[in-house]
Order: sequence, then structure tokens, then C-alpha cells
Amino acid sequence: MIKKNITLIIGVAIPILMILFVAGSIYLPALFIKPQVNFLYSIGGYSSYYYETGHQYSVRGSKLTESQPRPVQSQYQPPQKPEDATLYIYDVVKKESREISFQEAQKLNLDGNLISSDGFEIVYGSRGESFFPFFFGTGTDYNVRYLRGHNVSQKLNLQLNESSYYNQFDFLGWVK
Amino acid sequence: MPTKEEALSYVKAIAEQKIATKDEVKQAYDLGSGVKTDASSNKRAGIAEILYYIGGAIIFLGIAILLAQNWSTLSFATKVLATFGVGVAAYITGVLFSRDKRAETVGHAFHLISALVLPIGIYVILDNSGIDAGSMGSQSFISGLLLGAYLLSYAVFRKNIFALFSVLFGTWFFFAVTSYIIGGAPYFGGWKFSQYRVLIVGITYMLLGYSFSTTERSKLSGFLYGFGVLGFLTSALVLGEWKPDQNVVWELIYPGLVFGVLFISVYLKSKSFLTFGTIFLMAYILKITSEYFASGMGWPLSLVVAGLAMIGVGYMSLSLKKKYLNS
Repeated sequence: MIKKNITLIIGVAIPILMILFVAGSIYLPALFIKPQVNFLYSIGGYSSYYYETGHQYSVRGSKLTESQPRPVQSQYQPPQKPEDATLYIYDVVKKESREISFQEAQKLNLDGNLISSDGFEIVYGSRGESFFPFFFGTGTDYNVRYLRGHNVSQKLNLQLNESSYYNQFDFLGWVK
Repeated sequence: MPTKEEALSYVKAIAEQKIATKDEVKQAYDLGSGVKTDASSNKRAGIAEILYYIGGAIIFLGIAILLAQNWSTLSFATKVLATFGVGVAAYITGVLFSRDKRAETVGHAFHLISALVLPIGIYVILDNSGIDAGSMGSQSFISGLLLGAYLLSYAVFRKNIFALFSVLFGTWFFFAVTSYIIGGAPYFGGWKFSQYRVLIVGITYMLLGYSFSTTERSKLSGFLYGFGVLGFLTSALVLGEWKPDQNVVWELIYPGLVFGVLFISVYLKSKSFLTFGTIFLMAYILKITSEYFASGMGWPLSLVVAGLAMIGVGYMSLSLKKKYLNS
């Protein structure tokens, strides 16, 4: 019976094995390799069209510093000061964000490198839009970010401002 | 009981005296070896049959346009009746028609309506329940549910049309589930992963086609061979990518894959394998010529070489067809 239907069995088994392979390669490494280093980020605080200071917060010498926005002289509209950015610390073990004050954040020792000491980095997610048999292509999902490293990726539970196109997310540094 | 030699000499005598045609002898052999054939499998798709399917597709379009134009004004009950209700009714009508051999093809048209409308019906129900029906999780649910329903239908009614819909909904389920598992994970994202999935589906279709070729489902083999080899060779060619981002492994093994397909075309006597094998061998020659030789030899000379190679491929394809596939 099995010998007679061997091509049918192989034909059905190949896609099932691929599903198992994809699931395994996503979920299995995550069981053994876990990110350990928390990080600090901010949401909002970008200068609008009328301010050109870039980011409100930045890391200098492993400490968080704050800069004041400079207004752009515009003949059309008076400059509008952007709202203050909110600071969050992301706990990679609990997978949650906690809001902290600037004073609290200043006490932290930060590593401003893009890759953490345990080999992880923050990247955008990818997106595949389709409704079989139509494929609308794939691309970058700017609304989702992942912690990626060592063939493991973990979706980040960030406090993103989804009404803004870029979510105004700003990575500031890994907590040492 | 005659010996093998005696039986073969009878067959020879039948052929010499033209007592029965080759197809009739083959049919008798299949009956004896336990291979069942659909009563409809010997019928060729006539114009009437095609019109049935076009009619089914037009009914589906009508329902889809009705819903799209009146989505905000129609009540939930009306939407469900117009989609899921129509799908279930068309399925039952299809089953009833299929019981009568003379109306079997009309039954297929109703099954086509059912298969097109039922996913929309489930979509409407999910959407009304506040679930994002377009998400990959919902698509996995819809395709999985319909895959199960059509597999069950096939198990009960043993009709080819249910096997075909099982394959199609199975394909949708495969794409939706893999997309659902991946989510937005950056390691699997992008176009390349889709190409690998098409490659897998292509291989699966070819294997299913081969498996069906000796059974009551042999009518599906042509469809599965055609789409299988098309998906397989397209994805393998695209995986080779383009200079300077080319994938050398895929570019090197591609000729082997194409010649493998051409070899299989002779073994299976499949025109789909031969046609697509030839087309993709030509595409590969053009790709490699423009990628690597256009700058060295010059584009005009490269075109001449590619043209000559394509004439050779065309000649080889015709020879194979005359020698092995037309017998």
C-alpha cells in the first residue's frame, strides 16, 4: 500500500515538512537562545517641519543627554515646538516596555552601539501581502520591529505611536 | 489461462486485423488491472462544458460585485445568504447533478461556484465577528476548513473535481500557514522565501500528477504536471537572481534541472514537461548570455550565439516530441 502510493506520500509530505521546518526554525532556536540585554528607547519628540534639531535624546559617553529643539525661520507659519519624547525601557525577558523619567534614565549606563553585547540588533519586520492566488509582493513592515541575532528573532512589544508613519521610534542604547 | 507469450500474440493479432483500437485494448487492460476510470474521463471538454464553467465564473463575479457595491447597505444576514448560503446551495445542487451521469458537467459548474463563493462567505462571517478576515491566521482557517471539507467530499463521492479543489485549497493553506508562522520575522521575510514556497508547490504538483496518472484521478495529471513544472522552473530560475547579486549554486544547477525535466518528459510522455523545459532552457540561455557574455563578447554577438543556441534547443525539442511523444 505504502509502496504503491509512495509518490503521493512524498508529494504530500514535502509541504508538510516545509511547514514543520519553518515552524521549527522559528520556535526552536528561541527556546535555547534568549536575548539578555534590555534597551532604552524613545517615542515621539521629532522636530516637525518647523524644527530641525533631529532627536531630542541621545547617548554621549554612555549617558543619556537631552537637547532643545531649534526653530526654523519660516515666512509661512510660526514654528511649532514638538511634544516631548517619552522614554521607555524594554525588558527583553518579560517582553514589555516600561515608561521611565529622564532623571531615571540618566542614571543608566548605556551602550549606543547598534548591536548589543550579546549579539542582537533591532530591525524592521518583513511583510507579505497576499490573498491566494494573488500576491501583492513583499516588503518592509515599518510598524513592527524585531530583535534579531544568532538566527533568532523576537517580536518587540513597543509602545509605538501607530498614527505616525515612522512611529517616531528612536533606539537610544543597550542598558549595561 | 493463456501464457504471457500467447496473450501478447493475441494482442498482436488484434492489432493486425484491426479488431480493436489501441485505446480499447488499453481500457480493457486498465479494467482488468483494477484501475477505475471516470465515465466522464474519456469525454473531451466540449464548448458546452466550457460555457458551463464560464457561466459559473460569471455567477461568482455577479455575487462579488453585488457585495462590493452594496457592502455598507446590506445587512449581515443578506451578506451571509448571498455568499455562504449560495455556496452551500451550489454545493448541494452540484452533488445532485453529479448523481446523474448526463448532468455531471453541469454539476461541476455548480461546484465551481461553490468553491469560489464559500471562501467569501466564511470571510463575511469572520469579518462580522470582528476578526481581521484578511490576516494570515484567518486565511489559514478559511483554507484549512475548505481543504477539510473538499477532502471529505472526495472521500465520500470519489469525484475528480473534489480532488482538484483539495489540491487548490491545500495550496492556499500551505501559503497561508507558512505566512502565518513567519509573521514578520526578518529571517524568512521577503521575496526569496515566496520563491522557495513556489518551488515546493511545483515539486508537490509534479509528484501528485505522477501519483494520479495511474489512478481514477489521471485526468488531473495534465493540470498538475503543467502548473507543477511551470512553478518549479520559474522559481528555480528566479532563485538564480541577477548579476551582481546572483546565486551561483542555483545558476549552476539550473541546466541540470531543465535537462532533468526534458528527460522526464520522455519518460512520462508529457508535453507540458517538454514545452516548459524547452521554454525555460531558452530563457536560461538568454539570461546567462546577457548576464555574463554581453559585456565581453558584445551584445550583438551574444544575441547571435543565444539565437543559435535557441535554434538548437528548438530542434532538440521537436526531435524529442516526434520520436518519443507522438507514439
